[in-house]
Amino acid sequence: MRFKFPFVAICLQLSMIILFGLFVGYENKWQYYAIPYESWVFFISLLWDIGNIHVMTFLGFGFLMTFLKKYGFSSVGINLLIAALGLQWGTLIRGILHHRQKFYIGIKNMINADFSTATVLISFGAVLGKISPVQMLIMTTLEIPVFAANEYLVGEILKATDIGASMTIHAFGAYFGLAVAGVLYRPGLRRRRHDNEKSVYHSDLFAMIGTLFLWMFWPSFNSAVADTGDHQYRAIVNTYFSLAACVLTAFAFSSLVEQRGKLDMVHIQNATLAGGVAVGTCADMAIQPYGAMVIGSIAGIVSVLGFKFLTPIFAIKLRIHDTCGIHNLHGLPAVVGSIASIVAVALGVADKTTMAKQAAALGTSLGMAIVGGLLTGLILKIPIWGQPPDQNCYDDSVYWEVQYTCFVHLKARILSKSCAVM
Amino acid sequence: MGSKYPKSLRIFLPLWVLMLEIAFILVFFFFASYETISKKSEFLKTYHAFQDINVMAVLGLGFLKASLRRYTWSSVAFNLFNLALGVQWAIILDGFLFSSSGKITVNIQRIILGAMSAMSVLISSGATLGKVNLIQLIVMTLLEVTAFLGTKNVSWVELQGNEHQSMMQIHLFGACFGVTTAWCLPGRRLNAAKEKERGTTTSSLFTTLGTLFLWVFWPTFNSALLEYPSEKETAVYNTYYALTVSAVVAMSFSAATHSHGKISMTHVHRATLAAGVAVGVATNLIHSPWIAMVLGLLAGMISIAGAKYLLVMVQQVIGIRLDAHGRSCLKPQCECICSVPFRAGFQILYSAGSLCLFMAMGLVGGMLTGLILSLNLWKAPHEGKYFDDQVFWEVSPSMNLT
Repeated sequence: MRFKFPFVAICLQLSMIILFGLFVGYENKWQYYAIPYESWVFFISLLWDIGNIHVMTFLGFGFLMTFLKKYGFSSVGINLLIAALGLQWGTLIRGILHHRQKFYIGIKNMINADFSTATVLISFGAVLGKISPVQMLIMTTLEIPVFAANEYLVGEILKATDIGASMTIHAFGAYFGLAVAGVLYRPGLRRRRHDNEKSVYHSDLFAMIGTLFLWMFWPSFNSAVADTGDHQYRAIVNTYFSLAACVLTAFAFSSLVEQRGKLDMVHIQNATLAGGVAVGTCADMAIQPYGAMVIGSIAGIVSVLGFKFLTPIFAIKLRIHDTCGIHNLHGLPAVVGSIASIVAVALGVADKTTMAKQAAALGTSLGMAIVGGLLTGLILKIPIWGQPPDQNCYDDSVYWEVQYTCFVHLKARILSKSCAVM
Repeated sequence: MGSKYPKSLRIFLPLWVLMLEIAFILVFFFFASYETISKKSEFLKTYHAFQDINVMAVLGLGFLKASLRRYTWSSVAFNLFNLALGVQWAIILDGFLFSSSGKITVNIQRIILGAMSAMSVLISSGATLGKVNLIQLIVMTLLEVTAFLGTKNVSWVELQGNEHQSMMQIHLFGACFGVTTAWCLPGRRLNAAKEKERGTTTSSLFTTLGTLFLWVFWPTFNSALLEYPSEKETAVYNTYYALTVSAVVAMSFSAATHSHGKISMTHVHRATLAAGVAVGVATNLIHSPWIAMVLGLLAGMISIAGAKYLLVMVQQVIGIRLDAHGRSCLKPQCECICSVPFRAGFQILYSAGSLCLFMAMGLVGGMLTGLILSLNLWKAPHEGKYFDDQVFWEVSPSMNLT
């Protein structure tokens, strides 16, 4: 770890700087003095959006994954690392794919780069605790090009609508992560539940910080790239109502499926966000608030049931171990969302797209995710990346300087004393 | 030597605070009025920055200081107190120093300026963290905001700096001020409090929360005082890319300098933000992303090297704790000057001049404040009670403070 990780990270970073020097410049359309009022409003609102989306990627996703009792540092820290790298790599790949020469970036490019980062962070949830930072860097570099290609295919060639990116981000990220986790499956971790793969009281509370930040800013995420005016407004309102409805059904079903009607914190942390994922594809269509609420409710139910019944089946029968349950938070609700968009087209509320286009978009997203994930998994399986052995999984102290509290010393001292007495 | 029990602040503190607040209210009653907004766009332009900077000051800097395991309540709460006091005082001073009519017109821009000036206190209170009580903090806030605004005024008049450039010196000023203040306080060689100075994983996660808030909103901080939209835009992009690079660099260098290749969370807290400080002054002058990224790379590297080798030495010699900004900003500031000539060669002298001015004023002001604070008037906590929430807060006995 001492030389491998810094070497890989610095090499990636240096090549990033060189590529930026060769390919990227700033677009500065506005002259210094006179700019029209509309452009100001446009710029400021995008600046606002990008701040909110950054809060979601860095604070939201980061803290959502801190639920493991000994893995808080890695969840937040590695999240910051790969998001920082992903922002640069995403800007570059998308720009080169669309322009094929030196290009000039504006604030929209940064929002799109954030989206590509979010995809990697979603996939990170499936392999959390089981792979090393070096593997994570490799996965980031491999996943973003596949994501950009898929996004290009869905948006530019198929011309399907996916405004909140349910399919291109959430479904893609989730199935990519699951495919990687499937290839990297280790029976040793499943034979009995790993000691460290549990949460404690305060770690669940930290995870809740992440949930709340994601919940608050989700409307910005779904509306950031919508056309200004009606579409953007509808995206915000629909997302909000869908999230609200989803919280209620998630609480209800969590209480229903658990023993003695108690709530499960895992469901509350994750399933309450499923509504934001599911409404993504049809967020800017005129589906009316009640439509959004129906979508949100279904997503909440599907997500809780997925956590309760599907995750164990995946882990045992399909040999895919999904640490954070991203399949239930991102994968299933995204599929629900794209089906909802097909229904919306059938009901005639969408003007830009057709049923075939939406179905094709879902198909390509899933296909590319799974193929890309399998290939990435195979590359990550090469035993040179410093994958942690089974007993060191889900443990911060492998990668981080951790100061445990004085209990540890105290315990050691007491033990040695009692030994002396004996 | 006094009693080991902390002195009660029961009468002293409310008296001081109420008197100050009444004075503020009277000043505002007689001299302050709202500005009438001519256009809605004016409000919209600045409100966004206002919100972000408050998040940075309250949540970001508050949680950043929550790293001591028995001092988290005071870190977060005293931070809010300092900010509230500092903003009011800064607005009053700013109104009298910079307006000719003798009236204070309150608008959002002025509140942003006030909040940013008060941030200098929040930065330097990181160095005195755990060693001063609320009354000393009040005195420190009043003196430091006055010193900062005075210095800013001098740099405007003498060196023709603009608002943005002088505000970006806040990190340097705050760090110098805090370090010298802490140096003058009693108890430089603390042994009894060593145990309480350590962090835990939980308090470290709280610090990470603060770091991330600062990280996310730093571009707003660096662009808030720029006038023209294209400048603002460039500033935002440069800060973002510099910050992303320094995040990657911080972690990899932290691992490279550890004997077992482990990453230190403390390094991450400090070095990821170094780039934001480093590009601060010149951020609107850099016109390609790669230059900002190289600056971020250097800032991250120097910050880690400083935290690892230089400051261990300094800490042992002088025996003070340095704040995140103190650690990360001294060196990167020097790079700022180097980066200025990219676009504006002639400004380098002015920049160097204002850098020295702010540093000197910070050091001298901090020294004086430290001497005042170490007078026996303020009922300061005893050295053995440093870094302990129990001195100031009601802690129920069942609560496990470890």
